[in-house]
Amino acid sequence: MTGPLVEFDGVDKSFGDTQVLYDVDVDVDEGEVVVVIGPSGSGKSTLLRCANRLEEIQGGDIRLDGRSVIETDVNEIRQQIGMVFQSFNLFPHKTALENVALAPEKVKGEPEAEAKRAASDLLDRVGLADQAESYPGALSGGQQQRVAIARALAMEPRVMLFDEVTSALDPELVGEVLDVIEGLAADGMTMVLVTHEMGFAREVGDRIVLMADGRVVERTETRSFFDEPSTERGQQFLSRLL
Amino acid sequence: MATQTESESSGGGVLMRDRLVKRVGEVAAGGFVLAIGGLLAWILSTQVDYDLLASPLIARRFAEAFFLVIQIVVISSLLSVSLGVLVGLGRISTSNVTGRIAKGYVEFFRGTPLLFQLFVIYFGVPRLWATGEFPFTDWAIPAAIIGLTLNHGAYVGEAIRGGIDAVPNGQMEAARSLGMSRVMALRQVVLPQAWRNALAAIGNDQIILVKDTSLLTVIAVPEIMSVFRNINSNQLDPWTPLVWVCVLYLAITMSMSQLVNGLERRSDWGSDSRMFGRLSGLGSGDDDGGEET
Repeated sequence: MTGPLVEFDGVDKSFGDTQVLYDVDVDVDEGEVVVVIGPSGSGKSTLLRCANRLEEIQGGDIRLDGRSVIETDVNEIRQQIGMVFQSFNLFPHKTALENVALAPEKVKGEPEAEAKRAASDLLDRVGLADQAESYPGALSGGQQQRVAIARALAMEPRVMLFDEVTSALDPELVGEVLDVIEGLAADGMTMVLVTHEMGFAREVGDRIVLMADGRVVERTETRSFFDEPSTERGQQFLSRLL
Repeated sequence: MATQTESESSGGGVLMRDRLVKRVGEVAAGGFVLAIGGLLAWILSTQVDYDLLASPLIARRFAEAFFLVIQIVVISSLLSVSLGVLVGLGRISTSNVTGRIAKGYVEFFRGTPLLFQLFVIYFGVPRLWATGEFPFTDWAIPAAIIGLTLNHGAYVGEAIRGGIDAVPNGQMEAARSLGMSRVMALRQVVLPQAWRNALAAIGNDQIILVKDTSLLTVIAVPEIMSVFRNINSNQLDPWTPLVWVCVLYLAITMSMSQLVNGLERRSDWGSDSRMFGRLSGLGSGDDDGGEET
């Protein structure tokens, strides 16, 4: 099968009477990095949260490798979709290593020693091998976010979702997190990123999806978006940023 | 304490008022200590019969009551905390039925006096059997344990629910997004944090449980207050046995707060990252030094 790995197909989402997503279509191919940008409140984060069913959708469908996310067991689908949050959400009562090893051990039933060994490799990959025994409370925001990335990777997901993962960080800590994400992109990980870091979007994104008021207003190759956005909304958005 | 000096950088008028309030507080507290200390010294020197205080007869009776109370406290504590965890989980259940039953339970046992509950169990329950057929010959102590457990289970349940509510939503989301079921996420991620949040409130309640054993005197449990009443009416000397009563209760409650402090220290996972997760963007304490954000 050579269709897209992740497919948002006419997604509608409402919170009560307020509709926040209107007929959203987005495709993400295997190994591709799609960056979702747009003003606050445009529905970017909600779109991500629908993909692993932290939010339920009211219309349309979302497919992972051709299989409807809605009709698959929620805990099974979430193992294949890794998610990293703006506020890290590390488990404060577990060490960095335990944070990473917990889900493989409890969800996949891996033996403890094996899960810990894999976790240790992942911490090494995000540059935190020396902090394995630290509790989240003793780590900087950038370090916590890197542990959170390792924790999501530990389930060996097919796609990673990043929800404004640098928005809560001090400016000098943003770089270390973006470096890790760039490394993943280089390794061919399929990713959907919601971000306000335009420089980073330009660097790492294969495609840009611009959202406004719950709709996709532009969907294009990264280079052509930043050079000459084809829609008026895109031009407006960029002119306000640059 | 050290942060109080911060106020000294503000205007002179405010500074004067701060200092004045502090002085008044010190005088009031010091005066209180002197008054109570004087009264206590006077009572201990004129009212207490030290021969009676040290006599093996009353020492032995208080010791027996003391160990009985400790047994009742240990059993009721373990049972009420276990029950409280179940009640707390019931309160946050996604099932409407379970949630309402737990709520009703809490409303009833918090809303009626413990003494009433003890009377229902001690006097009321045996009457549900035909005369002479109630299986317990000595019902007082089982009734006491049941009453204390049911009553304090309600308070512990509320403490646990509060502890669960105080765990940021993101914890559940993060656990669920890794593929954990709700029950697994509760067990592995939410409850350990809720337990720590609730510890102080639970400890507080368990100390009240210790003091509530004094009510058991009215259902014929030979506990500490019963011994006091007995000695007082025989010797017509309240102050001597009251010294015993005070020391024994404090011995239990103070070791209990030590235990709670120990448990709290054990679940202190570095700096408070839950606040960090919620407020985020403030940087960790070590990293941003004196920088203002």
